[in-house]
Amino acid sequence: VETLRVCDFGRVSARRSQTLWHALAHGVSAGAAPTLSFMRPARPYVGLGYHRPAAEVDLAWCREAGLPVYRRKAGGGVVYLDDAQLFFQITVPAASVPAARGAALRQLLAPAVAAWRAAGIDAELDPAGEVVVGEAPGGTGVSPGVKICGHAAAQIGEAVVVVGNLIERFDHAAAARVLALPPDARAEVGRLMRRFVAATPADAATFQSAAVTAYGEALDLEPVPGTMSGEERLHLAHLDTRFATARWLAGPVAGRPLPAARTVKIRAGVFVVTAETAAARLVAGVVSDRVERAVLAAPEWNGAARGLAAGLEGLSLSEARGRLASAGAAGAGLANALAGLRMTAA
Amino acid sequence: MEPTTELAQVAGFSVDLARAYDRETHLWVLDLGGGRLRLGLDALGVETAGTLAALAFVEPGTDLAPGEPFGSLEAAKFVGPFLAPVAGRLVAVNEAVLGDPSLVERDPYGAGWLVEFDTAGPGVPGGALVAGADAVAAWFTATVDDYRLKGLVAE
Repeated sequence: VETLRVCDFGRVSARRSQTLWHALAHGVSAGAAPTLSFMRPARPYVGLGYHRPAAEVDLAWCREAGLPVYRRKAGGGVVYLDDAQLFFQITVPAASVPAARGAALRQLLAPAVAAWRAAGIDAELDPAGEVVVGEAPGGTGVSPGVKICGHAAAQIGEAVVVVGNLIERFDHAAAARVLALPPDARAEVGRLMRRFVAATPADAATFQSAAVTAYGEALDLEPVPGTMSGEERLHLAHLDTRFATARWLAGPVAGRPLPAARTVKIRAGVFVVTAETAAARLVAGVVSDRVERAVLAAPEWNGAARGLAAGLEGLSLSEARGRLASAGAAGAGLANALAGLRMTAA
Repeated sequence: MEPTTELAQVAGFSVDLARAYDRETHLWVLDLGGGRLRLGLDALGVETAGTLAALAFVEPGTDLAPGEPFGSLEAAKFVGPFLAPVAGRLVAVNEAVLGDPSLVERDPYGAGWLVEFDTAGPGVPGGALVAGADAVAAWFTATVDDYRLKGLVAE
Protein backbone atom coordinates (compact mmCIF):
# COMPACT_ATOMS: atom_id res chain seq x y z
CA VAL A 1 0.00 0.00 0.00
CA GLU A 2 1.39 3.38 -0.94
CA THR A 3 1.33 6.29 1.44
CA LEU A 4 -0.84 9.32 1.97
CA ARG A 5 1.37 12.06 3.35
CA VAL A 6 -0.46 13.92 6.11
CA CYS A 7 0.83 17.40 6.87
CA ASP A 8 -0.64 19.31 9.80
CA PHE A 9 0.73 22.85 9.70
CA GLY A 10 -1.35 24.11 12.61
CA ARG A 11 -1.77 27.88 12.81
CA VAL A 12 0.04 29.73 10.03
CA SER A 13 0.13 33.24 8.59
CA ALA A 14 -2.67 34.28 6.27
CA ARG A 15 -0.38 34.15 3.25
CA ARG A 16 1.05 30.78 4.21
CA SER A 17 -2.45 29.37 4.51
CA GLN A 18 -2.52 29.75 0.73
CA THR A 19 1.09 29.30 -0.35
CA LEU A 20 1.62 26.10 1.64
CA TRP A 21 -0.89 24.08 -0.32
CA HIS A 22 0.21 25.55 -3.64
CA ALA A 23 3.75 24.42 -2.76
CA LEU A 24 2.51 20.95 -1.85
CA ALA A 25 0.75 20.74 -5.21
CA HIS A 26 4.05 21.61 -6.86
CA GLY A 27 5.64 18.73 -4.93
CA VAL A 28 2.93 16.21 -5.76
CA SER A 29 3.15 17.29 -9.40
CA ALA A 30 6.86 16.46 -9.26
CA GLY A 31 6.25 13.01 -7.80
CA ALA A 32 5.72 13.43 -4.06
CA ALA A 33 3.11 11.19 -2.42
CA PRO A 34 -0.54 12.21 -2.47
CA THR A 35 -0.98 14.62 0.42
CA LEU A 36 -3.69 15.57 2.87
CA SER A 37 -2.91 18.84 4.61
CA PHE A 38 -4.48 20.95 7.34
CA MET A 39 -3.93 24.47 8.60
CA ARG A 40 -5.76 27.47 9.92
CA PRO A 41 -4.89 31.13 9.34
CA ALA A 42 -3.69 33.02 12.39
CA ARG A 43 -5.52 36.17 11.28
CA PRO A 44 -8.47 37.11 9.08
CA TYR A 45 -7.94 37.82 5.40
CA VAL A 46 -9.70 37.75 2.06
CA GLY A 47 -9.21 35.05 -0.56
CA LEU A 48 -9.88 35.66 -4.22
CA GLY A 49 -10.65 33.03 -6.87
CA TYR A 50 -8.16 32.73 -9.70
CA HIS A 51 -10.29 34.32 -12.42
CA ARG A 52 -12.05 36.97 -10.35
CA PRO A 53 -11.15 40.66 -10.77
CA ALA A 54 -9.55 42.15 -7.67
CA ALA A 55 -12.07 44.97 -8.12
CA GLU A 56 -14.70 42.62 -6.66
CA VAL A 57 -13.01 43.15 -3.29
CA ASP A 58 -13.42 46.44 -1.40
CA LEU A 59 -9.66 46.82 -1.31
CA ALA A 60 -9.70 50.21 0.39
CA TRP A 61 -11.88 48.96 3.22
CA CYS A 62 -9.79 45.80 3.59
CA ARG A 63 -6.63 47.88 3.78
CA GLU A 64 -8.12 50.08 6.50
CA ALA A 65 -9.35 47.02 8.36
CA GLY A 66 -5.93 45.37 8.10
CA LEU A 67 -7.17 42.48 5.99
CA PRO A 68 -4.69 41.21 3.43
CA VAL A 69 -6.05 39.92 0.11
CA TYR A 70 -4.56 36.87 -1.60
CA ARG A 71 -5.45 35.36 -4.92
CA ARG A 72 -5.52 31.55 -5.07
CA LYS A 73 -5.01 29.38 -8.10
CA ALA A 74 -8.28 27.57 -7.41
CA GLY A 75 -11.69 28.77 -8.54
CA GLY A 76 -14.70 30.42 -6.95
CA GLY A 77 -15.22 33.95 -5.76
CA VAL A 78 -14.30 36.32 -2.95
CA VAL A 79 -14.22 34.66 0.47
CA TYR A 80 -13.60 35.92 3.97
CA LEU A 81 -11.33 33.58 5.94
CA ASP A 82 -10.31 33.57 9.58
CA ASP A 83 -9.00 31.42 12.41
CA ALA A 84 -12.44 29.93 13.09
CA GLN A 85 -12.01 27.91 9.89
CA LEU A 86 -9.90 24.77 9.62
CA PHE A 87 -8.62 24.47 6.07
CA PHE A 88 -8.04 21.07 4.50
CA GLN A 89 -6.56 20.19 1.14
CA ILE A 90 -6.29 16.88 -0.67
CA THR A 91 -3.64 16.83 -3.38
CA VAL A 92 -3.27 13.89 -5.77
CA PRO A 93 -1.72 13.19 -9.16
CA ALA A 94 -3.96 14.54 -11.93
CA ALA A 95 -3.84 11.20 -13.70
CA SER A 96 -5.52 9.53 -10.71
CA VAL A 97 -8.78 11.48 -10.88
CA PRO A 98 -11.61 11.29 -13.42
CA ALA A 99 -11.28 13.44 -16.52
CA ALA A 100 -14.68 15.01 -15.84
CA ARG A 101 -14.28 17.85 -13.37
CA GLY A 102 -17.59 17.30 -11.63
CA ALA A 103 -16.78 13.64 -11.04
CA ALA A 104 -13.28 14.50 -9.79
CA LEU A 105 -14.67 17.01 -7.32
CA ARG A 106 -17.25 14.60 -5.97
CA GLN A 107 -14.65 11.86 -5.60
CA LEU A 108 -12.29 14.11 -3.68
CA LEU A 109 -14.93 15.74 -1.48
CA ALA A 110 -16.70 12.52 -0.52
CA PRO A 111 -14.14 11.55 2.19
CA ALA A 112 -14.50 15.01 3.75
CA VAL A 113 -18.25 14.46 3.92
CA ALA A 114 -17.57 11.16 5.69
CA ALA A 115 -15.39 13.05 8.17
CA TRP A 116 -18.20 15.48 8.97
CA ARG A 117 -20.50 12.54 9.55
CA ALA A 118 -17.92 10.96 11.85
CA ALA A 119 -17.90 14.26 13.74
CA GLY A 120 -21.67 14.03 14.24
CA ILE A 121 -22.89 16.23 11.37
CA ASP A 122 -25.40 14.83 8.89
CA ALA A 123 -23.39 16.17 5.94
CA GLU A 124 -23.96 15.23 2.33
CA LEU A 125 -22.90 16.26 -1.14
CA ASP A 126 -25.92 17.76 -2.83
CA PRO A 127 -26.56 17.35 -6.58
CA ALA A 128 -24.81 20.67 -7.24
CA GLY A 129 -21.67 19.41 -5.51
CA GLU A 130 -22.01 21.52 -2.36
CA VAL A 131 -21.33 20.07 1.08
CA VAL A 132 -24.59 20.69 2.93
CA VAL A 133 -26.43 19.53 6.00
CA GLY A 134 -28.79 16.68 5.20
CA GLU A 135 -32.29 15.92 6.30
CA ALA A 136 -31.32 14.79 9.82
CA PRO A 137 -29.44 17.77 11.25
CA GLY A 138 -30.23 16.72 14.82
CA GLY A 139 -29.18 19.31 17.35
CA THR A 140 -26.77 21.15 15.11
CA GLY A 141 -29.03 24.17 14.77
CA VAL A 142 -28.39 24.12 11.02
CA SER A 143 -31.25 23.74 8.56
CA PRO A 144 -31.21 21.00 5.92
CA GLY A 145 -29.62 22.10 2.66
CA VAL A 146 -27.47 24.80 4.23
CA LYS A 147 -23.90 24.94 2.94
CA ILE A 148 -21.28 24.14 5.58
CA CYS A 149 -18.08 24.08 3.52
CA GLY A 150 -16.48 26.36 0.98
CA HIS A 151 -14.56 24.39 -1.61
CA ALA A 152 -12.55 24.99 -4.75
CA ALA A 153 -10.15 23.04 -6.92
CA ALA A 154 -7.22 23.44 -9.25
CA GLN A 155 -4.92 21.48 -11.45
CA ILE A 156 -1.43 22.73 -10.71
CA GLY A 157 1.11 21.07 -12.97
CA GLU A 158 0.39 17.35 -12.83
CA ALA A 159 -1.43 17.55 -9.50
CA VAL A 160 -5.06 18.16 -8.67
CA VAL A 161 -5.88 19.83 -5.37
CA VAL A 162 -9.28 20.22 -3.78
CA VAL A 163 -9.52 22.65 -0.88
CA GLY A 164 -12.24 23.06 1.70
CA ASN A 165 -12.89 24.33 5.19
CA LEU A 166 -14.53 23.24 8.39
CA ILE A 167 -16.33 26.33 9.62
CA GLU A 168 -16.47 26.61 13.41
CA ARG A 169 -17.90 30.13 13.39
CA PHE A 170 -18.80 32.21 10.39
CA ASP A 171 -18.65 35.98 10.39
CA HIS A 172 -21.42 36.71 7.90
CA ALA A 173 -21.13 40.47 8.36
CA ALA A 174 -17.42 40.49 7.54
CA ALA A 175 -17.94 38.11 4.63
CA ALA A 176 -20.42 40.56 3.08
CA ARG A 177 -18.48 43.69 4.04
CA VAL A 178 -15.30 42.79 2.13
CA LEU A 179 -17.20 42.77 -1.17
CA ALA A 180 -17.06 45.84 -3.40
CA LEU A 181 -20.80 46.31 -3.64
CA PRO A 182 -23.31 49.09 -2.98
CA PRO A 183 -24.73 48.91 0.57
CA ASP A 184 -28.10 47.50 -0.50
CA ALA A 185 -26.45 44.72 -2.51
CA ARG A 186 -24.12 43.95 0.38
CA ALA A 187 -27.12 43.77 2.70
CA GLU A 188 -28.80 41.28 0.38
CA VAL A 189 -25.63 39.18 0.28
CA GLY A 190 -25.55 39.20 4.07
CA ARG A 191 -29.20 38.20 4.30
CA LEU A 192 -28.79 35.23 1.99
CA MET A 193 -25.48 34.18 3.56
CA ARG A 194 -27.13 34.00 6.98
CA ARG A 195 -29.77 31.75 5.51
CA PHE A 196 -27.67 29.50 3.28
CA VAL A 197 -24.17 29.31 4.83
CA ALA A 198 -23.54 28.13 8.37
CA ALA A 199 -20.94 26.92 10.81
CA THR A 200 -21.45 23.54 12.45
CA PRO A 201 -20.62 22.35 15.97
CA ALA A 202 -18.31 19.64 14.56
CA ASP A 203 -15.20 19.23 16.69
CA ALA A 204 -12.20 20.15 14.56
CA ALA A 205 -9.89 17.49 16.02
CA THR A 206 -12.50 14.77 15.50
CA PHE A 207 -13.10 15.97 11.94
CA GLN A 208 -9.39 16.05 11.18
CA SER A 209 -8.73 12.58 12.51
CA ALA A 210 -11.74 11.19 10.64
CA ALA A 211 -10.63 12.91 7.43
CA VAL A 212 -7.24 11.21 7.61
CA THR A 213 -8.94 7.85 7.93
CA ALA A 214 -11.55 8.56 5.26
CA TYR A 215 -9.09 9.84 2.66
CA GLY A 216 -6.74 6.94 3.33
CA GLU A 217 -9.54 4.44 2.81
CA ALA A 218 -11.01 6.17 -0.23
CA LEU A 219 -7.66 6.47 -1.98
CA ASP A 220 -6.40 3.08 -0.73
CA LEU A 221 -3.35 4.75 0.78
CA GLU A 222 -1.67 4.39 4.18
CA PRO A 223 -1.77 7.73 6.05
CA VAL A 224 1.67 8.70 7.32
CA PRO A 225 2.56 11.97 9.08
CA GLY A 226 4.87 13.98 6.86
CA THR A 227 6.52 17.30 6.19
CA MET A 228 7.50 19.35 3.19
CA SER A 229 10.50 18.35 1.12
CA GLY A 230 13.43 20.70 0.57
CA GLU A 231 12.22 21.34 -2.97
CA GLU A 232 8.76 22.20 -1.71
CA ARG A 233 10.23 24.60 0.86
CA LEU A 234 12.18 26.35 -1.87
CA HIS A 235 9.04 26.66 -3.92
CA LEU A 236 7.16 27.90 -0.88
CA ALA A 237 9.65 30.75 -0.47
CA HIS A 238 9.13 31.66 -4.10
CA LEU A 239 5.35 31.60 -3.68
CA ASP A 240 5.51 33.66 -0.49
CA THR A 241 7.11 36.42 -2.52
CA ARG A 242 4.91 36.00 -5.57
CA PHE A 243 1.61 36.03 -3.68
CA ALA A 244 2.48 39.40 -2.14
CA THR A 245 2.95 41.14 -5.48
CA ALA A 246 0.48 43.50 -7.11
CA ARG A 247 0.82 41.48 -10.30
CA TRP A 248 -0.35 38.28 -8.64
CA LEU A 249 -3.24 40.10 -7.00
CA ALA A 250 -4.28 41.54 -10.36
CA GLY A 251 -4.27 38.01 -11.75
CA PRO A 252 -4.95 36.71 -15.23
CA VAL A 253 -7.93 39.03 -15.65
CA ALA A 254 -5.98 42.25 -15.08
CA GLY A 255 -7.35 45.09 -17.12
CA ARG A 256 -10.71 43.51 -17.83
CA PRO A 257 -13.51 45.87 -16.79
CA LEU A 258 -16.16 44.68 -14.39
CA PRO A 259 -19.27 43.76 -16.38
CA ALA A 260 -22.39 45.91 -16.08
CA ALA A 261 -24.14 42.95 -14.44
CA ARG A 262 -22.53 40.43 -12.12
CA THR A 263 -23.41 37.88 -9.51
CA VAL A 264 -22.22 37.06 -6.04
CA LYS A 265 -22.76 33.39 -5.45
CA ILE A 266 -23.87 32.40 -1.97
CA ARG A 267 -24.17 28.70 -2.73
CA ALA A 268 -25.21 26.73 -5.79
CA GLY A 269 -28.58 28.10 -6.92
CA VAL A 270 -28.44 31.17 -4.66
CA PHE A 271 -27.09 34.44 -6.04
CA VAL A 272 -27.23 38.15 -5.60
CA VAL A 273 -27.38 39.89 -8.97
CA THR A 274 -26.33 43.47 -9.39
CA ALA A 275 -26.75 45.39 -12.63
CA GLU A 276 -25.86 49.00 -13.12
CA THR A 277 -26.18 51.30 -16.10
CA ALA A 278 -25.95 55.06 -16.43
CA ALA A 279 -29.72 55.27 -15.99
CA ALA A 280 -30.66 52.57 -13.49
CA ARG A 281 -29.56 50.03 -10.94
CA LEU A 282 -30.91 46.62 -9.90
CA VAL A 283 -30.12 44.43 -6.91
CA ALA A 284 -31.84 41.06 -6.85
CA GLY A 285 -31.58 38.10 -4.51
CA VAL A 286 -32.15 34.94 -6.57
CA VAL A 287 -33.02 31.64 -4.90
CA SER A 288 -33.56 28.53 -7.01
CA ASP A 289 -33.77 30.66 -10.16
CA ARG A 290 -36.54 32.87 -8.71
CA VAL A 291 -36.10 36.50 -7.76
CA GLU A 292 -36.86 36.56 -4.07
CA ARG A 293 -36.20 40.21 -3.39
CA ALA A 294 -35.48 43.06 -5.78
CA VAL A 295 -34.48 46.70 -5.41
CA LEU A 296 -34.60 49.05 -8.40
CA ALA A 297 -33.49 52.63 -8.71
CA ALA A 298 -33.86 54.91 -11.72
CA PRO A 299 -34.72 58.61 -11.87
CA GLU A 300 -36.72 57.89 -15.03
CA TRP A 301 -39.25 55.84 -13.11
CA ASN A 302 -40.02 58.75 -10.80
CA GLY A 303 -41.26 56.81 -7.81
CA ALA A 304 -42.56 53.77 -9.67
CA ALA A 305 -39.40 51.76 -9.02
CA ARG A 306 -40.72 50.09 -5.89
CA GLY A 307 -43.77 48.70 -7.66
CA LEU A 308 -41.71 47.56 -10.60
CA ALA A 309 -39.26 45.81 -8.24
CA ALA A 310 -42.11 44.09 -6.42
CA GLY A 311 -43.36 42.85 -9.78
CA LEU A 312 -40.05 41.10 -10.40
CA GLU A 313 -40.30 39.01 -7.25
CA GLY A 314 -41.22 35.41 -7.96
CA LEU A 315 -40.09 35.61 -11.57
CA SER A 316 -37.19 33.70 -13.03
CA LEU A 317 -34.25 35.88 -13.93
CA SER A 318 -35.04 35.54 -17.62
CA GLU A 319 -38.67 36.52 -16.97
CA ALA A 320 -37.48 39.47 -14.90
CA ARG A 321 -35.24 40.49 -17.76
CA GLY A 322 -38.23 40.42 -20.08
CA ARG A 323 -40.27 42.54 -17.68
CA LEU A 324 -37.48 45.10 -17.42
CA ALA A 325 -37.07 45.23 -21.18
CA SER A 326 -40.53 46.73 -21.44
CA ALA A 327 -39.98 49.29 -18.64
CA GLY A 328 -38.70 52.19 -20.71
CA ALA A 329 -35.13 53.03 -21.66
CA ALA A 330 -33.83 52.53 -18.11
CA GLY A 331 -35.37 49.07 -17.90
CA ALA A 332 -34.15 48.14 -21.35
CA GLY A 333 -30.63 49.09 -20.35
CA LEU A 334 -30.80 46.82 -17.30
CA ALA A 335 -32.29 44.01 -19.38
CA ASN A 336 -29.45 44.37 -21.83
CA ALA A 337 -26.89 44.21 -19.01
CA LEU A 338 -28.54 41.10 -17.57
CA ALA A 339 -28.40 39.36 -20.94
CA GLY A 340 -24.66 38.89 -20.46
CA LEU A 341 -25.04 37.11 -17.12
CA ARG A 342 -24.24 33.48 -16.61
CA MET A 343 -25.53 31.68 -13.56
CA THR A 344 -22.55 29.38 -13.27
CA ALA A 345 -21.16 27.57 -10.28
CA ALA A 346 -18.29 30.05 -9.94
CA MET B 1 -12.94 34.69 -44.20
CA GLU B 2 -13.92 32.34 -41.40
CA PRO B 3 -12.87 28.72 -41.90
CA THR B 4 -15.58 26.26 -42.77
CA THR B 5 -16.82 23.68 -40.32
CA GLU B 6 -18.33 20.37 -41.32
CA LEU B 7 -19.54 18.46 -38.33
CA ALA B 8 -20.06 14.72 -38.18
CA GLN B 9 -21.80 12.85 -35.39
CA VAL B 10 -19.41 10.50 -33.66
CA ALA B 11 -20.58 8.51 -30.63
CA GLY B 12 -23.26 11.11 -29.98
CA PHE B 13 -20.94 14.13 -30.18
CA SER B 14 -20.28 16.65 -32.94
CA VAL B 15 -16.78 16.37 -34.36
CA ASP B 16 -15.08 18.13 -37.26
CA LEU B 17 -13.17 15.23 -38.78
CA ALA B 18 -11.02 17.54 -40.89
CA ARG B 19 -9.20 18.94 -37.86
CA ALA B 20 -6.33 17.54 -35.80
CA TYR B 21 -6.87 16.73 -32.12
CA ASP B 22 -4.72 16.46 -29.02
CA ARG B 23 -5.58 13.27 -27.17
CA GLU B 24 -4.77 14.57 -23.70
CA THR B 25 -6.26 18.05 -23.75
CA HIS B 26 -9.17 17.62 -26.18
CA LEU B 27 -8.03 20.67 -28.07
CA TRP B 28 -8.58 20.79 -31.83
CA VAL B 29 -6.04 22.36 -34.15
CA LEU B 30 -7.01 23.88 -37.49
CA ASP B 31 -4.50 24.92 -40.14
CA LEU B 32 -5.34 28.45 -41.33
CA GLY B 33 -2.41 28.51 -43.74
CA GLY B 34 0.89 30.37 -43.66
CA GLY B 35 1.99 28.69 -40.45
CA ARG B 36 -1.02 29.96 -38.52
CA LEU B 37 -3.05 27.52 -36.41
CA ARG B 38 -6.38 28.06 -34.67
CA LEU B 39 -7.09 26.12 -31.46
CA GLY B 40 -10.31 25.28 -29.67
CA LEU B 41 -11.85 22.79 -27.28
CA ASP B 42 -13.60 19.76 -28.76
CA ALA B 43 -17.10 18.66 -27.81
CA LEU B 44 -15.93 16.01 -25.36
CA GLY B 45 -13.62 18.51 -23.69
CA VAL B 46 -16.59 20.84 -23.31
CA GLU B 47 -18.76 18.06 -21.91
CA THR B 48 -16.24 16.96 -19.28
CA ALA B 49 -15.36 20.52 -18.25
CA GLY B 50 -18.91 21.37 -17.22
CA THR B 51 -20.46 24.82 -17.34
CA LEU B 52 -17.66 27.23 -18.13
CA ALA B 53 -17.34 30.14 -15.73
CA ALA B 54 -14.18 31.86 -16.91
CA LEU B 55 -11.29 31.69 -19.33
CA ALA B 56 -7.95 33.48 -19.44
CA PHE B 57 -5.05 33.38 -21.86
CA VAL B 58 -1.41 34.45 -21.75
CA GLU B 59 -0.44 37.63 -23.55
CA PRO B 60 -0.20 37.52 -27.34
CA GLY B 61 3.45 37.29 -28.32
CA THR B 62 4.17 34.54 -25.80
CA ASP B 63 6.27 31.68 -27.17
CA LEU B 64 5.13 28.25 -26.07
CA ALA B 65 6.59 24.78 -26.15
CA PRO B 66 4.30 21.74 -26.32
CA GLY B 67 2.81 21.11 -22.87
CA GLU B 68 3.25 24.66 -21.62
CA PRO B 69 0.14 26.45 -20.35
CA PHE B 70 -1.30 29.09 -22.66
CA GLY B 71 -4.25 29.89 -20.45
CA SER B 72 -6.73 28.58 -17.95
CA LEU B 73 -10.32 27.49 -17.71
CA GLU B 74 -12.68 27.46 -14.74
CA ALA B 75 -15.78 25.32 -14.36
CA ALA B 76 -17.45 24.15 -11.16
CA LYS B 77 -14.90 26.19 -9.15
CA PHE B 78 -12.18 23.98 -10.67
CA VAL B 79 -9.36 25.81 -12.43
CA GLY B 80 -7.22 23.96 -14.93
CA PRO B 81 -4.63 24.92 -17.51
CA PHE B 82 -4.89 24.95 -21.28
CA LEU B 83 -1.72 23.17 -22.40
CA ALA B 84 -0.21 23.93 -25.78
CA PRO B 85 -0.56 20.87 -28.03
CA VAL B 86 2.11 22.20 -30.38
CA ALA B 87 4.97 24.68 -30.25
CA GLY B 88 4.32 28.19 -31.44
CA ARG B 89 3.81 31.84 -30.61
CA LEU B 90 0.38 32.78 -29.34
CA VAL B 91 -0.62 35.61 -31.65
CA ALA B 92 -4.36 36.05 -31.15
CA VAL B 93 -7.02 35.36 -28.55
CA ASN B 94 -10.74 35.19 -29.12
CA GLU B 95 -11.96 38.16 -27.09
CA ALA B 96 -15.55 37.00 -27.56
CA VAL B 97 -15.06 33.87 -25.43
CA LEU B 98 -13.36 35.87 -22.69
CA GLY B 99 -16.54 37.94 -22.39
CA ASP B 100 -18.90 35.03 -22.89
CA PRO B 101 -17.39 31.59 -22.15
CA SER B 102 -20.69 29.96 -23.06
CA LEU B 103 -19.73 30.51 -26.71
CA VAL B 104 -17.28 27.64 -26.30
CA GLU B 105 -20.13 25.37 -25.22
CA ARG B 106 -22.54 26.56 -27.90
CA ASP B 107 -20.17 26.58 -30.85
CA PRO B 108 -16.89 24.86 -29.93
CA TYR B 109 -15.67 24.48 -33.52
CA GLY B 110 -16.79 27.90 -34.73
CA ALA B 111 -17.30 31.15 -32.82
CA GLY B 112 -16.05 29.46 -29.64
CA TRP B 113 -12.46 29.08 -30.82
CA LEU B 114 -9.82 29.97 -28.22
CA VAL B 115 -6.49 31.21 -29.60
CA GLU B 116 -4.25 31.27 -32.65
CA PHE B 117 -0.59 30.25 -32.85
CA ASP B 118 2.08 31.13 -35.37
CA THR B 119 4.35 28.16 -35.95
CA ALA B 120 7.75 27.86 -37.48
CA GLY B 121 6.56 26.09 -40.60
CA PRO B 122 3.42 25.48 -42.62
CA GLY B 123 0.87 22.80 -41.77
CA VAL B 124 -0.12 21.15 -38.52
CA PRO B 125 2.83 19.51 -36.75
CA GLY B 126 2.44 15.77 -36.35
CA GLY B 127 3.58 14.08 -33.20
CA ALA B 128 0.92 13.54 -30.59
CA LEU B 129 -1.98 14.93 -32.63
CA VAL B 130 -4.62 12.69 -34.15
CA ALA B 131 -5.40 13.65 -37.74
CA GLY B 132 -7.29 12.17 -40.65
CA ALA B 133 -11.03 11.47 -40.63
CA ASP B 134 -10.79 7.75 -39.92
CA ALA B 135 -8.20 8.13 -37.17
CA VAL B 136 -10.09 10.99 -35.52
CA ALA B 137 -13.38 9.08 -35.60
CA ALA B 138 -11.76 5.95 -34.17
CA TRP B 139 -9.97 7.87 -31.40
CA PHE B 140 -13.06 9.88 -30.50
CA THR B 141 -15.29 6.79 -30.41
CA ALA B 142 -12.86 4.89 -28.22
CA THR B 143 -12.51 7.83 -25.83
CA VAL B 144 -16.26 8.33 -25.51
CA ASP B 145 -16.73 4.59 -24.94
CA ASP B 146 -14.12 4.69 -22.18
CA TYR B 147 -15.70 7.75 -20.54
CA ARG B 148 -19.14 6.14 -20.69
CA LEU B 149 -17.79 2.98 -19.12
CA LYS B 150 -16.46 5.12 -16.27
CA GLY B 151 -19.74 7.03 -16.01
CA LEU B 152 -18.11 10.33 -16.91
CA VAL B 153 -20.46 11.16 -19.76
CA ALA B 154 -24.08 10.23 -20.31
CA GLU B 155 -25.05 7.22 -22.43
